[in-house]
Amino acid sequence: MKLEGKYTYKASQQVVWDLFNNPRHLEKAIPGCKKLEERAPGKYDATSKIGIAAVKGTYSGKFEVLDPEPPNRYRLIGEGSGTPGFVKGDGIMEFSQEDESTVVSYTGEVQVGGLIAGVGQRLISGIAKMMIKEFFRKMKKELNSLK
Amino acid sequence: MSEQVKGKWVGKRMKRKEDLRLLIGRGNFMDDIRLPNMKHAAVLRSPYPHAWIRGIDVTEAERLPGVHGILTGEDVEKMSNPFPVGVPVPPKYYSCAVDKVRFVGEPVAVVVAEDRYIAEDALDLIKVDYEPLPVVMDIEEATQPDSPVLHDNIGSNIYSQRFFKYGDPEKAYEAADLVVKGKFLFPKYGSTPIETYAVIASYNPYNEEFLIYNNYQGPFVNHSLVALALGIPENKMRWIVPTDIGGGFGTKTGMYPYIALIALAAKKTGMTVKWIEDRREHLLASSTGTDRVTYMEAAVKKDGTILALKDKAIDNTGGYIRAPEPGCAYRSTGNHTGAYQIRDLDREVLVVGTNKCLTAPNRGYTCQELYFSLERLVDMVAAELGMDPAEIRFKNFIQPDQFPYSTATGGFYDAGNYPKAFQMALDMIDYKKMRKEQQKARKEGRYMGIGFATVVDPSVTNIAYVTLALTPEQRAKGHPKSGSGESVIVKMDPLGKVHVIACTNPQGQGHDTVISQIVADELGIHPDDVTVSNVVDTHDRIYTITTGSYSSRFASVGTNAVVSATRKVKEKMTKIAAHLLECNANDLEVKEEKFYVKGSPERSIAVKHVAGTAHWNQTALPEGMDAGLYASSLLSMPTSKPPDDLDRVDSSNTYGFVAEAIVVEVDIETGEVKFLKWASVHDSGTVLNPMLLEGQVMGSCTHGLGGSLYEEFAYDENGQCLTASFQDYLVPTAAEVPKIDIGHVETPSPLTALGSKGAGESSCMSVPAAIGNAIADALSPLGATIDELPLSPSKIWHLIQEARGKK
Amino acid sequence: MKPSAFEYFAPHTVKEAVELLEKYEDEAKILAGGQSLVPIMNFRLGRPEVLIDINNIKDLDYIKEEEDHLLIGALTRERDLELSPLVKEKCPILVEAVSFVGHVAIRNRGTIGGSLVHADPSSELPTVICCLEGEMRVVGPSGERTLEPEEFFLTYLTTSLEPSEILVEIKIPTLPQNTRWSFVELSRRVGDFAVVGVATLLFMEEGGVCKEARIALGGVASTPIRAEEAEEVLAGQKITDALIEKAGEEAAEATETEPDYHASAEYRKEMARVFVQKGLHEALSRVKGGK
Repeated sequence: MKLEGKYTYKASQQVVWDLFNNPRHLEKAIPGCKKLEERAPGKYDATSKIGIAAVKGTYSGKFEVLDPEPPNRYRLIGEGSGTPGFVKGDGIMEFSQEDESTVVSYTGEVQVGGLIAGVGQRLISGIAKMMIKEFFRKMKKELNSLK
Repeated sequence: MSEQVKGKWVGKRMKRKEDLRLLIGRGNFMDDIRLPNMKHAAVLRSPYPHAWIRGIDVTEAERLPGVHGILTGEDVEKMSNPFPVGVPVPPKYYSCAVDKVRFVGEPVAVVVAEDRYIAEDALDLIKVDYEPLPVVMDIEEATQPDSPVLHDNIGSNIYSQRFFKYGDPEKAYEAADLVVKGKFLFPKYGSTPIETYAVIASYNPYNEEFLIYNNYQGPFVNHSLVALALGIPENKMRWIVPTDIGGGFGTKTGMYPYIALIALAAKKTGMTVKWIEDRREHLLASSTGTDRVTYMEAAVKKDGTILALKDKAIDNTGGYIRAPEPGCAYRSTGNHTGAYQIRDLDREVLVVGTNKCLTAPNRGYTCQELYFSLERLVDMVAAELGMDPAEIRFKNFIQPDQFPYSTATGGFYDAGNYPKAFQMALDMIDYKKMRKEQQKARKEGRYMGIGFATVVDPSVTNIAYVTLALTPEQRAKGHPKSGSGESVIVKMDPLGKVHVIACTNPQGQGHDTVISQIVADELGIHPDDVTVSNVVDTHDRIYTITTGSYSSRFASVGTNAVVSATRKVKEKMTKIAAHLLECNANDLEVKEEKFYVKGSPERSIAVKHVAGTAHWNQTALPEGMDAGLYASSLLSMPTSKPPDDLDRVDSSNTYGFVAEAIVVEVDIETGEVKFLKWASVHDSGTVLNPMLLEGQVMGSCTHGLGGSLYEEFAYDENGQCLTASFQDYLVPTAAEVPKIDIGHVETPSPLTALGSKGAGESSCMSVPAAIGNAIADALSPLGATIDELPLSPSKIWHLIQEARGKK
Repeated sequence: MKPSAFEYFAPHTVKEAVELLEKYEDEAKILAGGQSLVPIMNFRLGRPEVLIDINNIKDLDYIKEEEDHLLIGALTRERDLELSPLVKEKCPILVEAVSFVGHVAIRNRGTIGGSLVHADPSSELPTVICCLEGEMRVVGPSGERTLEPEEFFLTYLTTSLEPSEILVEIKIPTLPQNTRWSFVELSRRVGDFAVVGVATLLFMEEGGVCKEARIALGGVASTPIRAEEAEEVLAGQKITDALIEKAGEEAAEATETEPDYHASAEYRKEMARVFVQKGLHEALSRVKGGK
């Protein structure tokens, strides 16, 4: 499914860029993330317990930041698999300064496969969007924790 | 063999003998079989549509308490051969993925454990390293040379391709006034029997024999193919199919790889292994019909005569191709032109692979795909010419006095009266009145539509058709195939009661009831005096390689075998009776449990007495006659011949007819479809039991309705299956089925003993076309047309918006 | 598929249930009717380590009238609601809504509490409870609290219940005599999840004027939503066809529909309009208690 959105953060572009490249903060914002390790610059290993209500699964996966153009944009690819199936994502994150705030916009594709795709397709699109919203909301909290 | 026999019982609306045991839970299904020390299997399935398998680690799973062993693709490759299939360059299809997975749900490993719960716990512990590959999901994309290739040994995704020409299509095109073209998409759907696949296998290492219980609709060819795959002679594999199968509809006639897979799991672990497919597995990885893209055009004259047909049909069999495919492209060869007198044809046929699950014949097998295109096209021709769609059909029908009719493609239509049946359907919906109401509705801003489908229903497949995948030159070098046979044994006990041993392999059609009716009529006894044991046992039963229940063959070749065996018994009894009554056998007739001398009814002898003599008093029999009273019949339909050098083949044996007339109203605000009238007229030859026939008609209408509006095995563009539960794979429930009026016309077949033809698949072939035509007719004022199924309200709504947008 | 292993408890009182929830928190799930939970477990989409079966807590199964309200125990079976003469008389919209839930066999087991806590935005009970402004009484280790629908339903399949809390009762108003009401739904087949479901209540005053309108929609967002702009169009007005049309348009504007295999996002949005309008027409044609 194709996803896109925009979020505004009350901070300078450099600060927001750094925030979105810092595993300590990403770990707190990624849905259900139990552990996020940077094994090489821009390459992360993650374990996440993602789910909603009774429908939960533990996924282990990898993220990678590609083609970084600090502090304006980067491409993020990721994949996680667990017993309920797998999730794959590929998107572009863009940062632009607007007055005293930074607008973070993303466009990308998320693929969900395996069991959840087969029996849960009715809700997947909505739930995926909701989780992404959650991520950006939590990043706002992380930003506030810096101040 | 061509007398139409309707005695006291055949043709009667008799209640089924099978029903009591089914209703009180005393059926004998696969899940009722309990063997000592039976273990349970669960299958690990791929979540990827296309990926290399770089490694499988089962160490943690093997250590789980209660796990007895695990089988992987590596084992399967060592222990078996790929399944044979009738294409020139076959893919390597094993019962488990070996190098790659090619559809979501493909088996990757099998765990054998104490129970299914533990087996599934073990599945969670198996680690598979997949390297995903790009997918090919679109049928037409699969024909392109640059599409991701599923099988490197083939090099392209085209499993089979052939060109056919019959008559002189170029000349016909020259004579035509107009050519009408269409492109049609028929969806991937299936019949979802209530009972899923089930296998219980064990292996005896001392005599190297497999014993496999399963619910296959055969042995039909598959027994031989699985034996080849397992690398064993056929007499080292005993298949037993229990009395009751909970529906098959063709799903259980294609290659049934799980029979081999579970057999190998049993061999590796040394255990008796049971596996029952759950519903999610069924919707992911059992069998469906093919989805098909068809380009079809008709060259016609202004007066509506169809001179020639040209078509290109591309069938999709999924990640692999397996027997009896590529039958999907060739099975309907004999009836390709349907009910019409079209002699000139140009055909291109392609069978391709994509990353979807695999196929098998599905109730109607190829005819629903064919007729959706043909019948929609006929309506489109009528619309172009400003002709009534009923009128154009009457104009092009094969006429009653032309039967038996040989089609341009080699089909031999045994009997039929198409105008009569179609007229009956029109009368049943009060056609003229419906057209007037349609005019009125349109003025009121309501959208009513009337749709027809008039189709030829082929039954009793001639296995020769599969060899059409080869060119005549290729066929000449190989071994021909032909035939459609059945075998039955009828025996009578000393008290005159009969027991029939059959392996016609019913999955709920009521064969045993019909067999009883036939035997009762032939021998002048009561159906309650007849018992039937209808179990497949490849060791203990006599059967033909085509034996099984598929292509609606029981009513024709099945009953032929029953009648043949029963008449042999009758003949013997008549000779004994004549001998005892000291008269001529020709002077005797049998009725109400007695043999009578015609004209002198007081000279008679009870059937019971004749039977008793045959068993108890052998020396009283005519000289040279064997004792006892039984006969067997193992016969094939003589019309089942191999294709000729012009690629003509009688792909089936008996040809029925269906006229479907459906009236709908489409709510253009919501896209919902309401059924106003529905008439379904059937010619299945002599009707053996009207109640059973009506059940078949209702069932096939409902399955047809499913594919038209509700059902689809849907995949997204990344190859993920979206319909792996009944929440999303929408089978119509009783609430969705409208009132359907059934009509009958009987044109007895000269090829069957009782004049009967097959009936079970009928409306599956006609309903999608009729509903498509009805909705197209309803939406025609808006400029919207129908060329694909299923038609959800959302789809219909979008079609309407698009059409309005163009205006 | 078979579920993964779990520990099983069957408490007899709410207090015991809460103690168990407090002990196991996130690892536990409550089993009521099981019509949503059991398939999730059988598919292994969810693997609760602990199952707390509350079907023995008979105290939670009741329908009572109290002043101008009905009090419904969380364990009340959907079928009992459907067949209750009291509910039919005092709050008929609830009977109508629940009759769309699955099939009879499902309603025989499913409970109102289970359906609300499962919080599927396409389900009928969450939608009608939003419309009724029902109150959810919830019990936890630190006591009781009452939640209104906006506080209760957070997002897909998620309520604001803490892991150690249990829903015990739902309080809904009894409807004044001349209330106009309807529940309409578009689904693929009888008994399926709603593509869109609309619950409509029109509180009327003298002279055929609509004092207050409530329109709740299910299947068009991550929770059931109230179409506030549409409600404002109708409030204080004598409802005409033109107003109904406008209300439908406003309601559709407020939706954030998602596509799925069965219906596109545009279709759903359009059907929200159509069914809000249908719901209003049906409500107006109905006199309370009849058709």
